[in-house]
Amino acid sequence: MTPEDWKAKLSLTRDSFLSALIKTDSAGIAEFETKYLGRKGELTLLLRDLKDFPIEDRKALGALGNALKTELSAALDARKTETGAGAVNLEKSKFDLTLAGYPFPRGGLHPLTIVADKMYDGFQKLGFSIAEGPLIEEDYFNFEALNFASDHPARDMQDTFYVDLKDSRGKDLLLRTHTSPVQIRTLKNQEPPVRVVSAGRVFRSEAVDASHSFAFHQMEGFYVDKNVSMADLKWTLEAFMKDLFGSSAKISFSPSFFPFVEPGAQVAVSCVFCKGSGAACPVCKGTGWIELLGAGVIHPNVIKACGYDPEKWSGFAFGAGIERFAMLLYGISDMRMLYENDLRILKQL
Amino acid sequence: MKIQHSWLMDFIGAPLSVEDLIVKLTRLGFNIEGIKKTGASFSGVVVGQILAIEKHPNADKLSLCGVGDGTTVMKVVCGAKNIAVGQKILFARVGAVLAEGTLKKARIRGVESEGMICAAEELGLEGYDNSGILVLPENTQLGVDAASLFAKPDCVLEVEITPNLAYCLSHYALARELCAFYNLPFKQPAVPELPGSGDLRVPIKIEDSGLCGRYTAVVVENVSAAKTPEWLAGRLRAMGSNPKNNILIDVSNYVMYELGQPTHCFDLAKLAGPEIIVRPAKAGEILKSLDNQDLKLDGAMLVIADKDKPAALAGVIGGMDSAVSDTTKAVLIESASFNPSAVRLSSRKAGVKTESSYRFERGTDPELTVLAARRMAQIILEAAPGAKVIQVTDNYPSKYAPKVIEVRPERVNAILGAEIPEKEIFACLKAIQPELVDDKPWRFPAPSYRRDIDSVWDIAEEAARYIGYDVIPARSNMPVMRACATPSYEVTRELKNRLAYLGFSEVYNYDFISLRDFRNCLLNEENAVPLKNPLSTDFQFMRTAMVAGALKTLKFNLNRGRSSVSVFEVGNIFRKTDKGHSEETMCAGLMYGAFPGEESWRGGSAMADFYHLKGVLNYIFSGYGGFRFEKAKNPPAYFHPGVVLEMKLGNLQAGYLGMLNPQAAMNSDLKDNQIYYFELPLKALVSAYKPEFWARLPQVKAVSSFPNTWRDLSVVMDDKFEWAEIEKEISKAPDLSAVKLIDVYKGKSVGENLKSVTIRFNFSSMDKTLTDTEINAHIAAILAKLGLNFNAKLRG
Repeated sequence: MTPEDWKAKLSLTRDSFLSALIKTDSAGIAEFETKYLGRKGELTLLLRDLKDFPIEDRKALGALGNALKTELSAALDARKTETGAGAVNLEKSKFDLTLAGYPFPRGGLHPLTIVADKMYDGFQKLGFSIAEGPLIEEDYFNFEALNFASDHPARDMQDTFYVDLKDSRGKDLLLRTHTSPVQIRTLKNQEPPVRVVSAGRVFRSEAVDASHSFAFHQMEGFYVDKNVSMADLKWTLEAFMKDLFGSSAKISFSPSFFPFVEPGAQVAVSCVFCKGSGAACPVCKGTGWIELLGAGVIHPNVIKACGYDPEKWSGFAFGAGIERFAMLLYGISDMRMLYENDLRILKQL
Repeated sequence: MKIQHSWLMDFIGAPLSVEDLIVKLTRLGFNIEGIKKTGASFSGVVVGQILAIEKHPNADKLSLCGVGDGTTVMKVVCGAKNIAVGQKILFARVGAVLAEGTLKKARIRGVESEGMICAAEELGLEGYDNSGILVLPENTQLGVDAASLFAKPDCVLEVEITPNLAYCLSHYALARELCAFYNLPFKQPAVPELPGSGDLRVPIKIEDSGLCGRYTAVVVENVSAAKTPEWLAGRLRAMGSNPKNNILIDVSNYVMYELGQPTHCFDLAKLAGPEIIVRPAKAGEILKSLDNQDLKLDGAMLVIADKDKPAALAGVIGGMDSAVSDTTKAVLIESASFNPSAVRLSSRKAGVKTESSYRFERGTDPELTVLAARRMAQIILEAAPGAKVIQVTDNYPSKYAPKVIEVRPERVNAILGAEIPEKEIFACLKAIQPELVDDKPWRFPAPSYRRDIDSVWDIAEEAARYIGYDVIPARSNMPVMRACATPSYEVTRELKNRLAYLGFSEVYNYDFISLRDFRNCLLNEENAVPLKNPLSTDFQFMRTAMVAGALKTLKFNLNRGRSSVSVFEVGNIFRKTDKGHSEETMCAGLMYGAFPGEESWRGGSAMADFYHLKGVLNYIFSGYGGFRFEKAKNPPAYFHPGVVLEMKLGNLQAGYLGMLNPQAAMNSDLKDNQIYYFELPLKALVSAYKPEFWARLPQVKAVSSFPNTWRDLSVVMDDKFEWAEIEKEISKAPDLSAVKLIDVYKGKSVGENLKSVTIRFNFSSMDKTLTDTEINAHIAAILAKLGLNFNAKLRG
């Protein structure tokens, strides 16, 4: 084949393509495209023939061929649009979209972890660092240094588990009944100012029921510095509660007793569930307030036990039951649910 | 403590409703734990009589009664079985206000009832048989208002008294507190003076005034068989105490609830001497207590003795041998002040706790003994008109000396962070201590019953209670502080989150396990820490491993219909050591059944196996340098010895993973033993953790901008060769950017003891596009290496 022959063939292809294209409708357009532009289409084969020409011819003819291919493709696209064949057929997809998505592994954190983490986050924003303490504890840290004298009736408030081991003072080791020993351990190691929170497990020897457990969790927080007052405590707890319950949350203090604080307070937060309006509110029982924490100004005897002068150093401390928060936030009415590890419940979280 | 409203009002000279009382008490720090209304709070109920009974026409179990109230006869439908013609009954007319609300006219099974014949509970009356209607005595007058037959409406509050408020453990003391803090008129009880000291019939001797600071004794003669008056018995019942109908027994309880002073009555005829000696017990002495126990005494216990032997454990419990009875003719009333610690010690050693020891342990008012003794005598004399006081002795060796606290109002305000006006603080202190003088600094002598007030901090609390805690502002001058990083917490939180992302649910198990748990998990309890006072044998030891809890969780959930369980727990384990004990935080996880565990319409998911677990741990430890699996040298017995690996972080032991020992599964009654488990000590992660954020970040490696090429190679080799050794040999090939094992096949077509492995290689170069020739040369070299080291042959 001479270059001229090839050019003629190209011209013929162009003519037949363009004349046939006008007669092609949307149903025939795919077939039409294959006939000319497919792998074995007329134009494709013609271009393939170029390989037999010498290099100079190949260049010139190739340019012609490619130009035509561009032209015809554009014409084809235009025709597709004209006939509507370019549109994707969206009607034939038969998916049952109501079928469930494939299951991805679905684990989760325990509600007590989620709540403790959230509480930690809240206090960290207020400059509290996290500390930890052991569960097997010495009488000194759990009671003595916290102003529970050895024969003080306040010890009766917390039924204690003892283990069959002695501490260095010859007293039975015990399972800590609250997280407050962390106050002593921290202050003995670290000079004020100290601002610390500590969450963890505590134990009391009591029968298990819907609102009691022999093992439960507390979060302790305390701040020791110069000139710390009850007003600082109130501000801190209010800021924390706003973080947890929203900026409309308010707190209220009423008198209470813990040997390691003086004055001591019971702290309630305004009921965010009924906004203080509902007599039938199952959470606050219509009182508008939910009791959530114990708190107070650190007792001078505790400051002294840690080796500081209570006339110079002062502080506040607070303690919260994490179960109480978790039950409130998740609407859990029976504390035992938190230790049964029933996946039907945990998988809901 | 129970507080009866009407009783409390004996000491308050102004009206105070129950509702107001509750608010006022709560505001002072007394939590109200229960509210019980008593007495007749109903109205519109009269005494009626059943005049006729016929069957209800439409109901087998109902009757139609004709009830008369002296003027008219009404038709009443009644369901009770104990009705009879002629009975005097409580008849509620339509409109009556009953316990559950107002009674309305009702049609019951087609018959109109003009009222109701009442059972006690329908009227809110306690302490009666409620199986039927309440039948009144025959001589009850017809037509009278039934409310007049019963006690007046009243209310008993259960008030929580925290140890700091123990000075309020009586009606008198609580009233005094309310009056001081709310400026109400306090009514001192009208108790007549006793005649002078009289005869000294019974000498009183206190051996140690540190143990007994005061002993007031009153001897009353001619008291024989005096009965308890009904008003007093009623009050005792309201306290939940069972009156004994002998005034000599009941009066002590009564005065304790009223004034807070525990007292005791000895039968004078039964005291040898007669004399009273307050002394430590002698070792070996025995006291037969009022509740008929033989208490073994020793020198640490304080007793009240006569000439021969102990007659009471001081402040705790009296003795049987000197107890008053119906034949008692003369009594010695004891009203004393004992050392709180001494009473607590006695009570603990004897194992006896009483209302008396409860109060003494918390400290009683030494200035109260005489008033209490006089009140005792007053009540006895009223109940036994012939009785006569013949001796009054007040032995008071340890006179109360008040602690004086220096108070500056600005110090009080500094503690509270408040700006309470000076005069309000003074008013508060004056209300508590009327003797206070307004000379600054104020010198506040603590009243004899307020020994809890010891410092200016206590004063600050009183001021806050007086003014109301709400006066303290929520305001802060706290300086900004930086929250420091806590690696152990951060590591734990990250670890938990990673496990949760992978489909594990976090669980919380108790730290206590049983001996059986040790056996089930193939552990022994040798190094376990036992509890001294376990709640039960199920909770006898502190756990030494997490595995028991994991197995319990698995079993619990399988029993509730789950077929797959992936759980983890972070908790502490405890062990006895040479030095004492250790406490270590562990993370343990268990995988069982299908993973991810939820069935899908597209087909089942894979069953969890060892390699799932290994994948989990690879993910958990990602980002920790030096992590690797090694052959387990000495794994815990609860692992399958052939399916267990040890984890290492650098040189640190970082736990184990593997299949649980099938024996442990069987011991726990689990049918299937394909249970995969890991545990790791948090301390390994913590010590490998870099607290600085930047130091934990990986440094990014550049990737090639030239095309890369994948090649698969299938070879057959002896089954004994492990992937780790194969990988080690081939992973150093030039231009190799990744190598993956994508198939392992064993079977007849491969040959006995042989396996076919397919390895996928990725080649790339940073400098150029690799040619086929180059890659083929690399593959040939790898194949040669596999042939040399593992006798591997290209699969045909």
